[in-house]
Amino acid sequence: MEYLSADKILVVDLTTSEVTEDELSDELVEQKIGGAAINKYLYEQYEADNPVVVGTGLLTGTLFPASGAAVMTAKSPVTGNLCHCPITLKVGLEIQFAGFDYIVIKGASDNPVFLWVHDGIADITDALDVWGKNTWETTDTWRKAMGDDLIQTMVIGKAGEAGSDLAQVCLNYWASGDRFGFGKLFGEKKLKGLAFRGMGLLEIADAEEFVDQALEILDDIREGDFIGKKGIGDIYAAMGQSGVNAWLEPLVHRHSACYNTPYATNTFVYLDEDPATLKETANEEPGFLITELYGLLGFKALGLSADDACRMLKICAKGGYDAAAVAHQAKAAGKTSMGDIESALADFSGAGPMHGKGVFSPWCPNQPLFSFFEEAEEDPGGWWERRQAVAYIFGIHPIFAVMSPELVEDDMLEMAGVGTELSIEPEKLNAAVAYLYK
Amino acid sequence: MGIKIDALKCTGCMACEMACGYHRDDGFALLASCIVAYRTREKKDYFGVIVKEEDELLIARPEGLEVKKLGASEEPSEPAQKADASAKPMLLREACDMCEDMEVGPMCVKFCPVNAISPA
Ligand code: SF4
Ligand code: SF4
Repeated sequence: MEYLSADKILVVDLTTSEVTEDELSDELVEQKIGGAAINKYLYEQYEADNPVVVGTGLLTGTLFPASGAAVMTAKSPVTGNLCHCPITLKVGLEIQFAGFDYIVIKGASDNPVFLWVHDGIADITDALDVWGKNTWETTDTWRKAMGDDLIQTMVIGKAGEAGSDLAQVCLNYWASGDRFGFGKLFGEKKLKGLAFRGMGLLEIADAEEFVDQALEILDDIREGDFIGKKGIGDIYAAMGQSGVNAWLEPLVHRHSACYNTPYATNTFVYLDEDPATLKETANEEPGFLITELYGLLGFKALGLSADDACRMLKICAKGGYDAAAVAHQAKAAGKTSMGDIESALADFSGAGPMHGKGVFSPWCPNQPLFSFFEEAEEDPGGWWERRQAVAYIFGIHPIFAVMSPELVEDDMLEMAGVGTELSIEPEKLNAAVAYLYK
Repeated sequence: MGIKIDALKCTGCMACEMACGYHRDDGFALLASCIVAYRTREKKDYFGVIVKEEDELLIARPEGLEVKKLGASEEPSEPAQKADASAKPMLLREACDMCEDMEVGPMCVKFCPVNAISPA
């Protein structure tokens, strides 16, 4: 595909160390559009080798509002279902510009490796030096080795290496939307992670029209009901969890957004530094970026202080554990202090709290946030599934999708057409969504 | 004439950087943007925005604005050096031209979703 695309599919065989490339055909895009649907299609092509597929949405990395998400698709070693989780922060963006639209990773390596994807080149690289290291040390090691602090990573820690059900693929240093134990799958493949960096350029079929329309949509969004709200505290309040904001507030440093996303869904807490500090602190690791809602909520429900709960999130992310699953399992095991939970981490097994049909990550709340969605009144479950499916196909931030009714399917379809010159009609979107549930 | 940035409003979303990149390259790319969301101190949560202007660098830090004159012998300050890591150094980029050829005006101002950028 010529536009909004690197026009490349990468297939990595960890068993044979072979790396091959394919073109991304217009026909495939016209049929499945992108993101989760093309990921699933590729998964099925290579199903025998239990692949993990990482792919971008059709609009990922553009000026279309909230186009910050890529998608990881695999069979969950925990639920047994084929499922999808979002890749957010600036990682989805970097994947888009590193030179491949889709990456299939199949088979398993004998020795620890990582995949280094940069400017259209992909190298299976030795990871023996970081096997056994936590996610923070690993990201730091790779950034230092490549001399580039903007390298974006998807990485596992001890949990994934040890085959824990609770293992999560983390993003740089932080928790991700992997609530399906994909970290365990990485560990089974002896895949420590993926590192991305790229300076690509996405051509646009009708550039002026695309940008004008993106701006019009953004102007609508700027009138939305979420305006004036920021960070995860306000999201909790919108979920009806009214006590969390005040509980967390004393630790909050700043809020930040994923690529091109109008709402800052991430909140940084300072744990070892005064949260009011604005100057750059000399402390290299003053705190933690909260990127996931249910871990903190779970730790709060166990009675942990905000400080302990956030420290627990940091421990989980460093070890590559899904914090929501940890809190869930800790509750079941009657562990209610930070020390007890930390010592029991390696013993926990099973899934975390889930909602929906198990196709899309329960990382995104299954209710409208701040705003009114008519369809959600009639059929809340169906509304959430549809909203997620469309977001995962186009590369829209899944949480922003449930807070902005100004983002409508017709606009995404139209922009897909303007951006790529392909004919992508509503029926095709319906078919692609239906395919995700087959 | 130039732009001004409220670094405390900024959420580090990079929309301005992409909007400027589009203005330069007529496609989506970041290499030529003269406005950059600096984000290399990720673990410290220290971020803001840098703009390359004709003869100065505008560094919108959370603690306040810094203006660096670009002299031949002058070293750019820390975030400016590190903002782009291996990408094209800030000093080699075109200076902000206020998007004079764009009908809608300064693209970064238009695309900042939280109105952190405004014409000075
Ligand atoms: S006004 Fe235009 S040229 Fe100047 S920084 Fe903004 S987008 Fe770039
Ligand atoms: S667009 Fe606005 S919020 Fe986003 S990085 Fe630029 S100045 Fe900050």
